[in-house]
Amino acid sequence: MDRRSFLTLTTAGAAGLLASGGALLGSAVRFLFPSVYYEPPQKFKVGYAKDFPIGIPTFLPQEKIYIFRDEAKGFSAASAVCTHLGCTVQWFANDQRFHCPCHGSVFSADGAVVHGPAPKPLQWIEVTLAKDGQLQVDKNRSVADSYHLILPS
Amino acid sequence: MSALLKDLYRSIFRGDPPSTDKGKSELVFYNVWLHIHPAKVRKEHLKVGHTLYLGFISFFLFLILVVTGVALMLYYHPHPAKAYQDMKDLQFVVFLGPFLRNMHRWAAHAMVLFVFLHMCRVFYTGSYKAPRQFNWVVGVWLLLLTLGLSFTGYLLPWDQLAYWAITVGTNIAAYAPLAGPQIRILLLGGHSIGDQALLRFYVLHVCILPALVIALTMVHFWRIRKDGGLSRPLWKLDADSAPQGEPPRPGPASAEKTYGLMEVVTGKPLFEVLTPAEEEDLVFSYPYAFFREGVAFLLTVAATMVVSLVWNAPLEEIANPAKTPNPAKAPWYFLGLQEMVSHSAFLGGVLVPTLMVLALLALPYLDRNPSRRHADRRLVLWAFTVFAIANIVLILIGTFFRGAGWALVWPWAATAGGHG
Repeated sequence: MDRRSFLTLTTAGAAGLLASGGALLGSAVRFLFPSVYYEPPQKFKVGYAKDFPIGIPTFLPQEKIYIFRDEAKGFSAASAVCTHLGCTVQWFANDQRFHCPCHGSVFSADGAVVHGPAPKPLQWIEVTLAKDGQLQVDKNRSVADSYHLILPS
Repeated sequence: MSALLKDLYRSIFRGDPPSTDKGKSELVFYNVWLHIHPAKVRKEHLKVGHTLYLGFISFFLFLILVVTGVALMLYYHPHPAKAYQDMKDLQFVVFLGPFLRNMHRWAAHAMVLFVFLHMCRVFYTGSYKAPRQFNWVVGVWLLLLTLGLSFTGYLLPWDQLAYWAITVGTNIAAYAPLAGPQIRILLLGGHSIGDQALLRFYVLHVCILPALVIALTMVHFWRIRKDGGLSRPLWKLDADSAPQGEPPRPGPASAEKTYGLMEVVTGKPLFEVLTPAEEEDLVFSYPYAFFREGVAFLLTVAATMVVSLVWNAPLEEIANPAKTPNPAKAPWYFLGLQEMVSHSAFLGGVLVPTLMVLALLALPYLDRNPSRRHADRRLVLWAFTVFAIANIVLILIGTFFRGAGWALVWPWAATAGGHG
């Protein structure tokens, strides 16, 4: 074997080894991410409009969302998950604010951060009317805090 | 028959009886477990005042945790539907269940404390200095693994503490730069906290993290021997100014002589000649070192048992995703972290802890001052003390001065968390 082919073979071998190692590492990382997530759907129905009281936000514990019904403005929905570290915020009627028990973040009624470590306002999510007349919420669809669903009366 | 039994015994225990000096040496020399010590050790290293046996106690607590942990595994299913029920069974149905669970929990708390105290001892005696820098690094990793084992451990009961600790812990991870959200998915095995997350933390707790602790502990112990044994006590530094436990360096070889492998590696003659004074400084590891370590072991086990008989391990209500407890407090060793993230999730949860760990890892390389005497180390002693006290103060604030909604309150008004 001459010098040239020896070096070529060695380089090819080293490259092959490196590529296999990389592929192995990549596969290992990919393995750790599940291919199927058996998780609750992000889009779900929450009930009929008449079931929601006016003025007081309704907390849906399973979905961790608040549904608001305003006499004039209609329906809106906010995620109850604190934007800081994910604890569930609680609505306090006495000061009309959301309080997070974990690290003390406080949000106003429109979701803005009043004080505390939360970096972002609460997430407002889309409320639509499903064909069967129920309200439908999609947690994957963020909306502005001005978003409201007004039902035709 | 008796010849057969004698053969059997001699095939297992090869040395002379340990009543003779040769037997005492051979007992250590021929035993895979006991030869963690040399046949003889320095008297000063057995002094309680030098090490307070803090490293040993940490290791013994780990042994207690392995034994009680394996026992608990027999009655535990890592599934949200079963885990909490298993806790209730351990509390009320399983024979010795409460005792084993108490021992496991209190030994875990004690291990965090003793690993920290051990680190402080090694720091204040300057024992991380050359040639022991790398063993300090191994020790810092063991501290982090201890905290990781504690975190993954208290998630398993699937009570309120568990659920909200996973919530907060994995959300802190999501603040990590670049791959934060991916790390969170990796830890949870999904986007929300459910059976996948519990299973992953279980595997981490009973398999991956303990395996790493065992591997690093072996390195940690091995390095003590290879770095020339324990560091010499500070009071000996003033007594004699001999080089402080430098690792043997190969000396110049002579062409006149054939060297054995041991001599080549250690650079010392195979049969060392000790001066009478040096000889006077040594005692046989068996029985002197092993006896003291045995006492430390029994005291550790006894203390853990007494605590476990008197106080029950905390268990909160079953995990309820709909309701965050108020206040939701982590166990004491994470309350400093919780206090920091209550000011900023990224700064307090990611940046500052990362910098603290990096500072600890780099300490033996940044502190290039070879002297171990306190008089020569004013600056670094001051810096470490501030670091240690800052951590303790943050923990105290989190424990005693934070109430509902994480508001600052007086200790008598604080809900003490109840996570013990």
